Amino acid sequence: MAGEAADAVARHKHLARGALVAWAVFIYFFLFAPIILLILFSFNANQYGTLPITGWTLHWYHTAFSDFQIQDALKTTLSVALEVTVIATIVGTAAAFPLVRAHMRFRSGIRAALTLPIMLPGLLIGVSLLTFFTSVLHLTLSNQTVVIGQAVYVTPFVILVVASRLEGFDRSLERAAADLGANSYQRLRHVVLPLIGPAIFAGALFAFTLSLDEFVITLFLIGGGNTLPIYIYTQVKFGITPEVNALATILIAASLTITALAFVAPAMVRRARRHRRLRPRPVTET
Amino acid sequence: MALAPEAAVGSPHAVTPRRAPLARRLAPYAGFSPAVLLFGGFFLAPLVLIVLYSFWEVINYNVVHHWTLDNYHYFFSTPTYVTTLLDTLWVAALTTLLTLLAAFPLAYWLARYVRPSVRRPLLVLVIVPFWTSYLLRVTSWTTILGQKGVLNRFLELIGVIHQPLSFLLYDRPAVILVLIYLYFPFAALTLYASLERFDWMQIRAAMDLGAPPRVAITRVLLPQIRPGITVAVIFVFIPVLGEYLTPQLVGGTRGVMIGNLIVNFFQGAEYTRGAAISLLIAAFIVVLLVVFRKQLDVAETYGR
Amino acid sequence: MSINGPVTRRQAMRAGALGVTGLYVAACGSSGTTQSTASKTSSAASSSKAPVTLNWETWNDHYLPAQIAAVKQATGIAARPSLESDDSDGYLKVKQTGGQYDIVSTDALWAPKYFHDGLTEPFDIASIPVSSQLYSVAKEVPFWKAGGGYLVYPNGWSSVNIYYNPKYVSPAPTSWEVLTEAKYAGKVVAENQPTDLMAMAGLATGAKEPYGMTTAEISRAQDFLKSAKPAFLKLVSQNSDSVRALADGSAWMALENLGTDFRVKAAGGPVVKEATPKEGVVGWIDGEQMVKASSHKDRFHQFLNGMEQAPWVAKNFLVNGRPLFNEKAYKMLVNQGYKERADLLWYNQPEKALQLTLKGPSGNVQAYIDAFNQVFGA
Repeated sequence: MAGEAADAVARHKHLARGALVAWAVFIYFFLFAPIILLILFSFNANQYGTLPITGWTLHWYHTAFSDFQIQDALKTTLSVALEVTVIATIVGTAAAFPLVRAHMRFRSGIRAALTLPIMLPGLLIGVSLLTFFTSVLHLTLSNQTVVIGQAVYVTPFVILVVASRLEGFDRSLERAAADLGANSYQRLRHVVLPLIGPAIFAGALFAFTLSLDEFVITLFLIGGGNTLPIYIYTQVKFGITPEVNALATILIAASLTITALAFVAPAMVRRARRHRRLRPRPVTET
Repeated sequence: MALAPEAAVGSPHAVTPRRAPLARRLAPYAGFSPAVLLFGGFFLAPLVLIVLYSFWEVINYNVVHHWTLDNYHYFFSTPTYVTTLLDTLWVAALTTLLTLLAAFPLAYWLARYVRPSVRRPLLVLVIVPFWTSYLLRVTSWTTILGQKGVLNRFLELIGVIHQPLSFLLYDRPAVILVLIYLYFPFAALTLYASLERFDWMQIRAAMDLGAPPRVAITRVLLPQIRPGITVAVIFVFIPVLGEYLTPQLVGGTRGVMIGNLIVNFFQGAEYTRGAAISLLIAAFIVVLLVVFRKQLDVAETYGR
Repeated sequence: MSINGPVTRRQAMRAGALGVTGLYVAACGSSGTTQSTASKTSSAASSSKAPVTLNWETWNDHYLPAQIAAVKQATGIAARPSLESDDSDGYLKVKQTGGQYDIVSTDALWAPKYFHDGLTEPFDIASIPVSSQLYSVAKEVPFWKAGGGYLVYPNGWSSVNIYYNPKYVSPAPTSWEVLTEAKYAGKVVAENQPTDLMAMAGLATGAKEPYGMTTAEISRAQDFLKSAKPAFLKLVSQNSDSVRALADGSAWMALENLGTDFRVKAAGGPVVKEATPKEGVVGWIDGEQMVKASSHKDRFHQFLNGMEQAPWVAKNFLVNGRPLFNEKAYKMLVNQGYKERADLLWYNQPEKALQLTLKGPSGNVQAYIDAFNQVFGA
């Protein structure tokens, strides 16, 4: 009797697990199908970018690479992304320290305030800055206004990344350094920063990727220029030709490479450091 | 530079302690100064401007500093606008519900049945689509859902339908579907983080005590992961409220959301009216964040 | 199918009034044309090849990508087109961004508004060599003359008609009321041009001046739009979107420019036909303006001289299908065997353009946009 009941339970459990696995497979299919299709259509010889796929070609990649509008948009995108990354990393890392370490009564409130820019819709940041720049400061919109807008949105992410690393940071290392006579600047430079370096790097990469893809805020603040997402948006309204798909595929490959770097780089750096430490170093080296 | 001075806590002082000079006391907070500049000048100030604008007027493309509640009155007295606002709340709620329903089984499966070594790559796979351009992910759906799109072609091929389904695109269902697609990783990862901390032995214990599996889940598991569920809800509901690109690209005339209205007002130089609606949405979001601040705080101390 | 059709007494009177004002303005302005300012004459002669990028706010049918590349090759001037959805959108963008844009395309009566609000500058059209290829009527548009020069380098024109797929839409539409019929719900596309859609609604409800409606007329037009709203599948940003919707069958009707039938066919779509509602249609004549605050005004003439050459204009016609103001291009098209198609689209009768109810800013921009927004929500 007990055996039958146990069998029923086991069967029930297998059914449940089977259903869950089936659902998971469906979900992964659902997540990747649009992207795979996007990439697939970039090889489509049919110039309207729709089914049926009349042939396979690399033609669109060729036009994407040689299109000077794309090159122009790419240049703008990269320069904006670089500036945003620098600003966001410096401001974000600097802000992470007091957030984690300083004595504050309303720490969670301040943390919430610092992350408010990412909780409010990007749309609001875009329109409020547009109004602020044009009506109050009377600035003309340009790449620099875009940099500011994106920095406001991206910096909280860097703060969160660096802060979470700082929270888990072992303060006893600093105390040991203090005991050995290091002042606060030396502690920072030689103990804390190197150890949270990977987190800062991850934050910077995160900032870079976010900026590359940023669209809504950029749309409001860019005036006459073009970044890649804006160019793609214009082309999408024009009509999705396979050239846009080719561009999209290149962008996907680029984002994935950068993100992979974010995961792999810290490990590589650690291995390199370990290598260095194994070799004896002269005492006089600072 | 920004390290807290190593204070000798609890050490007895024979002398009344002098207050350290102001500079010394402020030193630990110095790290905030660039952030204060950036956010104060380019986040808070513009928002304050929006608040002010919502109470002023635009006459002939120029903003006039004339205090009035007309913008709000105009918004609430136009039936289409109120409908759009309510529709947006409805879409956000429905999207959140469906996203969580879709994400929960996946998170449950990963947390309970998958070996830890295999979990990492599967989780990464969930995030990977998120690392591709948002714009592209939305536009890729237009090729799938369109009249001559992949889905219609497929359904015709296998004989389920004989005429392409036109409601798939440029209507509210398309908006909800694409939104679920976009926000799924948020929900899945948040739920997973919460489920991962759960001690599955408790389920076994409950069942040993005679509870059927369903009851074990609802009475033991769900209450304990409630903070995680709340966070997932917040992380989907709030951004969806402000969505504007997705409805614009796949919503047609029937999938309009409040974000589109705001953009329309600002691009049409109706700054004050746009400001009023923006303020309404922002205030609503802030209220939600304040009400649920405890749950959000807990999530963050777990480390992202 | 004649836009000449019911030219009401009102329209004739207005055309007359315009003509008189135009003559007056021309009389006042003509004394100024002989004294061209430095910016107008020297630039036409300039043939510098220094690389520069001009930001051009326009519509997608004003250029072909290959054309831009060729002009860049020849003159060093690269264009960065930025797409506007309708005239008021373009106007506002220029107003908000100062000198960001160098060239902005616009329709008909918007050009005087741009000029009066200090956003654009007139130029000496005769100093652009390629302007000799234009029909003379295009160089004499009365309300495009101002400040001793010309406000717009003419591009093309069209009326906005109903294009319908006869397979699904029958009988053929004869009135704007067709938009209110339940059986066409969700099957119509139109360009997202609030002012112009309101004007069309005004025509449908008998407004005397679609671009200068009284409050009562606006209210009636708004009601009409509300009853027509279920018909609209989506409001598109560029006409290529309408073409695609008709081509893949998601729309059965489109409110679009001349030549849409050819474009739909070229996009692999079904045969669509054109219908002119009996209440009348709006139309436009468009072209390129020189933005006053631009820092590249000296390259404006050289750029247009490269872009507006007949071979490219002829190609543009074959792609986009609506009549253009370049007469030499017409002759080229005839030589290439496209006379029938060109004539079907009244290419060789540019004077028809000026008889349309031309697009322009409404008397009360705010009221139009408000009425539109209140119907469509956004």
